Amino acid sequence: MTERPVLSVRGAKKHYPSGDSVVRALDGVDIDVFAGQLVGIFGPSGSGKSTFLMIAGLLETPTAGDVEIEGQHVSHPAADLNLLRDFRRRRLGFVFQKANLIPFLTAAENVALALEIDDVPSAAADAYARDLLGALDVASRADNPPAKLSGGEQQRVAVARALANDPRLILADEPTAALDSARGRQVMHLFRRIASERQAGVVVVTHDPRSIDLFDRIIDFEDGRAVERPTVP
Amino acid sequence: MNLAWKDIRYSPARFLLTVFGVAFLMTAVIGMAGLYRGIVDDALLVVNRIGADLWVVQGGRAGPFAEGSAIPSQVDRRVEGVAGVGEVRRFTQFSQQFDFEGRPRRATITGLDFPKDDGAWIDLVAGRHLGRGHYEAIADASTGLALGDQVRLGLDRFTVVGLTTQMVDSAGDGLLFVTINDAVAIAQRRTSEEVLLARARRGDQRVVSGEPSVAQDSKIAAVLVELAPAADPAAVRAAVERWGDVSILSAEQQRDLLLNARLWKLRVQILAFTVLVVVITCIVVSLIIYTMTIEKLHQIALLKLIGARNSVIVAMIGQQAAMIGAFGFALAVAVSAVIFPFFPRRIVITPVDLGLLLCIDAAICAVGSWVGVARALKVNAREVLS
Repeated sequence: MTERPVLSVRGAKKHYPSGDSVVRALDGVDIDVFAGQLVGIFGPSGSGKSTFLMIAGLLETPTAGDVEIEGQHVSHPAADLNLLRDFRRRRLGFVFQKANLIPFLTAAENVALALEIDDVPSAAADAYARDLLGALDVASRADNPPAKLSGGEQQRVAVARALANDPRLILADEPTAALDSARGRQVMHLFRRIASERQAGVVVVTHDPRSIDLFDRIIDFEDGRAVERPTVP
Repeated sequence: MNLAWKDIRYSPARFLLTVFGVAFLMTAVIGMAGLYRGIVDDALLVVNRIGADLWVVQGGRAGPFAEGSAIPSQVDRRVEGVAGVGEVRRFTQFSQQFDFEGRPRRATITGLDFPKDDGAWIDLVAGRHLGRGHYEAIADASTGLALGDQVRLGLDRFTVVGLTTQMVDSAGDGLLFVTINDAVAIAQRRTSEEVLLARARRGDQRVVSGEPSVAQDSKIAAVLVELAPAADPAAVRAAVERWGDVSILSAEQQRDLLLNARLWKLRVQILAFTVLVVVITCIVVSLIIYTMTIEKLHQIALLKLIGARNSVIVAMIGQQAAMIGAFGFALAVAVSAVIFPFFPRRIVITPVDLGLLLCIDAAICAVGSWVGVARALKVNAREVLS
């Protein structure tokens, strides 16, 4: 584990006006995630965990606070998120509850797309995409469109896409919610492998307590605040 | 990876239906433009091809194509004597309805001053030009006559010796060329009752004196003038205009009268319809591309989420619009080539007009793309999660 965190969120607040009152979705969150760590974020609905993921993933700006990724100060209340698209492409990987694959592309093309939009030549992108799918045990489905893949296969393709640009930080929002327990466990194992083998920081927002043993750290969210559970030795 | 093409291959039926829709709208635009061009060409056909520098017509009138014109048939001899005049020909043209094979037909009888003019300026698709002073005709195929057909016009029977295509007047009636003397005879046709009534009015004195019992005011529509080499057209015009009983017009004035007087309202009407169809096409194509963009908002949000540049998204929408426009236009040209020959009026499609319409098609697709791109660029990456 390196000293410098892959993700550092400091004093993050996100407040929304709602009529005469203010909704405090995040209310001063400080979290550091280091390379090689698999971090689980738990909490009830409305506790602020998805808002945290949005802010950490540079999809929303915080009302107050700062976000640093790999030591670069990238987001703050006045940040222009459109200008951070290149940064997101090269440094971040996203996985969601739904696989969100593009329906008119095959599995391999969905993965290769993430490389081609970063100017990787088509043949090289395709070859690397197939390698990734092979590593995630879905090589045989590479030429199938998403509609012909099972839910678990789709989620593996989504993980492969998230890994395509070799990001140091992967953010996953309820990635196992649509899967049965066996396939959900497989996907969580996948994240565990990615964190260990690729030395990436992986943050997983989840409700699912069945894979709790796989996390290095667990952070509980409640009322927009984050509390880290003590590590079990 | 061409996202536009991948999307089209994923749902080809939707793309093909869209292309068909655009193609038929563009076919309508090509048809309107071609109809306009055809009407103008038809109207100017005789003026452009007959090879006259000046037209001598009835005094105070604008000539046979703009309004009625009747001058004595001997005026050509007067005109021939004017200094600077090279050659003169008599000309007349009028609409005629006749029966052929038990069905009523229409034609525009055009008199040629045979033997000076045997119709050599007429492009034939079959047969020959006029070879005799009487009872021969060159017919346009649109009259329904064929080579060798015999048709009764006035009191005489004419044989079709030559056949043309696409020679019609500004109303779309096919031209039927006969000698000018035959044309005058056809125009002077009288029923028996008309002759009897005329005789009754005038008594039998003229019959006794050998004069015709019915006035035979032999009239033609115009005298065509070809100037001698190095002749001064202004001097010839001034000499003829001094007579007072006739007017003289240049071929250019005849064209101007046809286009800007007789056909003006029709031209404006056709152009207005063309503009209307273009506007409708633009709205429909914009709506189609906007709808296609709306259907892909989730994918567009995902592309933004994984960091795709705007150029990737713009290219996807723009290329699809371009493919719709290109395939639609190509299909429209093909459909036009197949169906327009069966239309009652001539549809003239020129390469220049097609080039211009292709530019309009491209502009329409650009507007449509702009509408789609404007919507796509408003999409927020976090909409993937919605």
